Amino acid sequence: MSDTTAAARKPMAWDGLRKAWAISSKDMKIYYFQPAVLMFGLVFPVAIFFAFMIGRNVKAVNLFPGLIALTLFFSTTTVAPFSVPWEKMNRTFERLLFAPVSMVDAVLGKVMSASLFGLVICLFPLAIGLIFFGSHIADYGALVLALLLGNLCMATMGMLISTVNADTPPKVMMVLNVVRLPLMFISGIFIAIPALPLYGRVLSWFSPVSYCADMLYKGLGFKDYFGVLTSSLMLVAFTAAMFVASVLRMKAWNR
Amino acid sequence: MDASIKVNELTKYFDSFLAVNHISFDVEAGEIFCFLGPNRAGKTTTMRMLTNLSRPSEGKATILGMDTVRDSLAIKAVVGIVPEASNVFFELTTVANLTFTGALYGMRKKNIAARADELVRLLDLENHRKKKSVELSLGLRRRLTIAMSLMHDPRVVFLDEPTSGLDVESSRLIRDIIQDLYRKGVTVFITTHNMEEANQLCHRIAVINRGDLIAVDTPERLKQAATEAQAIEISFDRAMGDEEEKGLWRLPCVSDVRPLGDKYHLVTSDPPCVLEAIYPFMSERGLKPISVNTFGPSLEDVFVKLTAKSEDVASNE
Repeated sequence: MSDTTAAARKPMAWDGLRKAWAISSKDMKIYYFQPAVLMFGLVFPVAIFFAFMIGRNVKAVNLFPGLIALTLFFSTTTVAPFSVPWEKMNRTFERLLFAPVSMVDAVLGKVMSASLFGLVICLFPLAIGLIFFGSHIADYGALVLALLLGNLCMATMGMLISTVNADTPPKVMMVLNVVRLPLMFISGIFIAIPALPLYGRVLSWFSPVSYCADMLYKGLGFKDYFGVLTSSLMLVAFTAAMFVASVLRMKAWNR
Repeated sequence: MDASIKVNELTKYFDSFLAVNHISFDVEAGEIFCFLGPNRAGKTTTMRMLTNLSRPSEGKATILGMDTVRDSLAIKAVVGIVPEASNVFFELTTVANLTFTGALYGMRKKNIAARADELVRLLDLENHRKKKSVELSLGLRRRLTIAMSLMHDPRVVFLDEPTSGLDVESSRLIRDIIQDLYRKGVTVFITTHNMEEANQLCHRIAVINRGDLIAVDTPERLKQAATEAQAIEISFDRAMGDEEEKGLWRLPCVSDVRPLGDKYHLVTSDPPCVLEAIYPFMSERGLKPISVNTFGPSLEDVFVKLTAKSEDVASNE
């Protein structure tokens, strides 16, 4: 066997990362960093948030952890679930299958672009809160972990949604809303988890968004519920489980 | 010569539908091998199994000695695939599509740029380098798809209906590229239903129908299987009347008469016998020939004969 084929048979992790980055860069160019998508990523969560908050007697500074969590949740899960079905429909996804790219690298590439997009977008409400509304960072570690792990976890969720029996974008939209809307209400976005009724607190354990929102509350000086360690571990566990499920689904889909 | 592709009892079921039925064949290194068959014959399914886009239900295949299922990633590194649909990224430019493809194959940036330049020139895409693919015509998109499949300098190239629906200029360019690949020692596997293309390009042809492989041979040897489908093509200095036309049917050794514009195709298994009889026929009627040509059986005749035979066998079973 030639050197080329021997090397290709055992692709190095670095080689896989380079390919994943190529997929990620392509996705960012095509799907994410377009003016309309950027505007939607910002405007939609802000609009939903204010639709629920206007009229409630809450200080603006108290709203920002929830607003950032919602922005993060929506920005990472809005485009990612569509990119795979869209590429399947146009048969451009086959381009990845033609090349020596493992399914892990392909999923990683898709997740990386979604999480980078989410990270960029959720920095806007964070900056607005810090500059104009008196928010302050009380725990940098919790905030950074919330942004990094939260984005990664939500992006993986978006990827998993794209693989669930949805071969066309309209079907994805239905699945997406069925997943996202209930999670919005049990994850401490509009009301911090400690303030939720008992059933809300129990349900919040099952939502990965809860752990991200909880760490954001902690990072911006509010009381948390799970603790940073638990939240971080839960986000890592959710990310790993959803990543593996996405890879398996994609492999099954391909077969 | 070594076989680049070895196929052994390859089979594909879609639920209970048998799409490819225990086919076996070898493709020699550096040859242009055509897979010829009508729509839904199993050509694309076979190609997808060979490139591991689809798992075989039974049987196995190897490419350059590597198993198509077990060594899938290693095979993909040395194989180029041109699907029937030109699946380029519409939102990317010609060069960006090539660059992205190079990155997927793990090529270095410097090499990607040089190879992309080379392919843009080779496929005559120089005036379209910075155009988004959505702005390209069907033929240009096809050329770009081929360029993408050649980015990593593959040793084996699979082309699914490479010239289907293209204008003459693009078709000719693609055929030239295929000949060029052959000259460089690349093994080329083409699926097509275009007889003329198969006749012009391929060293060997496999005929597939309803999932069954019914013949594998060189075009000329395949044609020998249909000697009864030879023809004399003749045109006269004036139009023939109905009775005169009926006279052609009565010529010895003629099995069929096909009017084709101002000419007649006299189908026969014995052209000299027809030629001997045609001159007395003309002088009796005061006809003069403008042109007389002899045709061997076409690949189309062979194909019709072979597929009809396989369908007869299937219906008897």
